[in-house]
Parts: sequence; structure tokens; C-alpha cells
Amino acid sequence: MAVYRRSARPRFTLLLLVVTAVTLLTLDERGARVVDSVRGAARDAFAPITSAADAVFEPVGDVVQGIVHYGDLEAENARLREQLASRDGEQLKAQDAQRELKALLDQQELAYIGDIPTVAARVVTLSPNNFELTLEIDRGTGDGVVQGMPVVSGAGLVGRVVEASRTRSTVLLITDAESSVGVRLVSSGDIGVANGQGERSPLGVDLIDPATVVPPDEVVVTSGLQQSVFPPGIPVGKVRSATARPGELQQEVTVDPVVDLSRLTFVKVLQWSPRAA
Amino acid sequence: MEPPGRMNRARLPIAVLLVLTLQYSAFQDVRIRGVHPDALLLFAIAVAIVAGSESGAVVGFGVGLLADLFVQTPLGLSALTFALVAFAVGALQATLIRSSWWITPVTAFVASAAGIVLFVVLGAVLGQTQLLDADVPAIVAVVAVGNAVLALPAVRLASWAMAGLEPDRSYAR
Repeated sequence: MAVYRRSARPRFTLLLLVVTAVTLLTLDERGARVVDSVRGAARDAFAPITSAADAVFEPVGDVVQGIVHYGDLEAENARLREQLASRDGEQLKAQDAQRELKALLDQQELAYIGDIPTVAARVVTLSPNNFELTLEIDRGTGDGVVQGMPVVSGAGLVGRVVEASRTRSTVLLITDAESSVGVRLVSSGDIGVANGQGERSPLGVDLIDPATVVPPDEVVVTSGLQQSVFPPGIPVGKVRSATARPGELQQEVTVDPVVDLSRLTFVKVLQWSPRAA
Repeated sequence: MEPPGRMNRARLPIAVLLVLTLQYSAFQDVRIRGVHPDALLLFAIAVAIVAGSESGAVVGFGVGLLADLFVQTPLGLSALTFALVAFAVGALQATLIRSSWWITPVTAFVASAAGIVLFVVLGAVLGQTQLLDADVPAIVAVVAVGNAVLALPAVRLASWAMAGLEPDRSYAR
């Protein structure tokens, strides 16, 4: 039986909720550690449920997406994609290595990616929020993953860890609007900053000299300059377009990521930090 | 009215957990232009339709806070948005003299669209300007349509979850 009430209580309740929300927003804005702790605990607590739900709903999702994978066939597909991506990555890295060898750049002291210890991780889920491009991996601080570590796949750069709990980590993808990566054009050696512009948009690269000739498909790698959050030489993408307008101080360069960020199954977290380098 | 039993009190957390699990797993694969429906916002709206503005706001705040735990936006932003939207839905429902089956999907459509816009506006005010860089029209369209399609089952779930708890005003059965 429905009960009708006409009182000021609902408004008072709403006011209380608004005040509570504003308090939480203020605490988070001020970087209260308790907020991070609560978030981490929630992720860890919910991890087994998401893993179980993934197992249940994955086939349903595959049907919805029009791609039907079952059991071993799906695992084999993922493995083959990973192998192919690795080969592409090796090719890009080889091009970069050749250029570095020819130019004899003063980079002997920079960390070589092959020596960086890695943590293999499985992609658990994408962001539940439509406004951010992140993914969650099944490795956390208990596995040696900490905030700020770069994340790569066989082909190249995926993003960086922005949050890590004991068993889970959140990776901000390079296509997210909040992401910035220091990059270098392989052939010219020009340095720039690649900014994310959304899931279906290429990265926009700033600070490229208007006089620099930037051919299409030019390979772009991480610059690894001092205090960069990424080690040098990780393939980021290939140039889609480059436009130098008269009077502009920089070119308009766009780059397509080399990694297919929508189809990631496994990634590697590089246990690397600028300080360690 | 009899006081709610232990089983009835457990229904709401169970329903919230179910919705959170759906949002985190099944809905990840149901993407149109990279956007998926927002089950948590829909559940807050459904509770407001079923149980009125006060219950809607409280549940909206709760599920919004849960949503905030799993994303990078500030803690409290989704909670504030969902609470305001659910309160408005409940208040509007209270003015309805008679109900039709299609009112629920239409309400979910409008409220979901308003919720997304409010989330972006509040976020931008709080310095989360990256929200403005997203494809907001596409997100609004997909979330509103998706939530409208799922509105009737969501209201059934909300009715089950809120059964035995005292409503401000209940019209959905």
C-alpha cells in the first residue's frame, strides 16, 4: 500500500546528501589518503566477483559484438594476435635501433627496454565509466606494480598505471584526454608531446618544428627524456598526417597508435621509474 | 505498515551488487560507438520511480558513491549527480495523476540524458575539463536510449529491492 507524505524531510535528506558529496569531493581534491585506501579496498573486494562475472558474461558479449569465440579457439586467437603484435613491435623497434646506431646519439645511459623487468597481466575489464579510457589489469601492488609504471603490449605503448591496489591496477590508455606522452620522430629525431584525443581519434602531437619533414607512416617512439614517465624507444604510433601552416610555430601532427587498444587481452607492466633510470 | 523483515532488508544490497556486476561485466561488451548504458544511474532512476524522491536520492547517492570507487573522476561526483537526478525523478513522479507503461521508459530516457549532462557540467565546474573533450552527444544518446530500453526490467528489480521498505509514494508495480 502506497503512503503519501508531504513534508520537508525529502528536501532535508537531499541537502544532507549534497553536503556529504561536497565533503567527499573536497577530501578527494585535497588528496586524502583515506580515499585511495577505500578505492583500493573496494577494487580488491570486488575483484573475485568481476572475475566470475566475466567468465559468465564474456560469451554473451562476444555474441553481441558479432564475434563468436569459444574456449580454445578464443585463447588461440588471442595468442596469435599477441604474436603478430610482437612482430610488428620488433620491426618498429628495429627501425628505431638502426637510426640510433647511425646517429650515434648520446643515449648509452638510457635504459634499454629489453633489460627492464616486466610483470605480465591480463586485461580484466575496460572502464565502467563512459568518460575515461582506462582498463583494469589483474596485477597490483602485491605483484610489484605501482602507480606510474608504463604498460606495453607486444606492439608498443598502451599507457601507464594510474591506480594500484593489492590485486588490481588501473591503466590510463594513451588515447585518453588526460594522457600525454613525450615522443620522438624516428627519422628526424624531433621531440614532441603526444596527447590523447579520445577512443576513435588519433593522438595529437605538439611541438614539432614546422620545418621538419614528416612523412606519412613515420614511426613515433617514446622520447625518454629526463624525468619522462616512460623509458625511451617504446613504439607509440605511426604518423597519420602532418600539416605545417604558414606563420604557425608548430606542425599539426596526428599519430595512430600502433596498439589496437580495443582488443587487448594481455599486457606487460614495465617495472620502471624515471628515478630508477 | 509492518516493519521490514531481514530478508527484505537484504534485497537492496543484493540488487545493487547485481547492477554493479552487470555494469562491470556484461555492459562492457554492449558498446555502441564505444559507449555502454549506465546501469547504476538507471537503477537510481528506477528506485525513484518506484519509491519516490527521498528513497531515490539516498539509493542514488549510494550507487553513485559505488560507481565513484571504480573510476578516476573525483569521489562524490557520481554520488551527487545520481542523488540530484533521482530526487528530481521522484518529485516529478509524485505529480503524476495516472501512469501508463510508456512513462517509465520516457522518464528513464530524459533522466539519463539529464544525468549525463549534469555529470559533465558538475565535473567541469570541479575542474574535470577532460569530460568536455569526450563525445558528449554520443554518450548522452547511447546512455539515454540504452537506459530507456532497460527501464522496465530495472523498475521490476527496483520494486523487488524496495519491497517492504516504506515508500514515499509508490506507483510502479
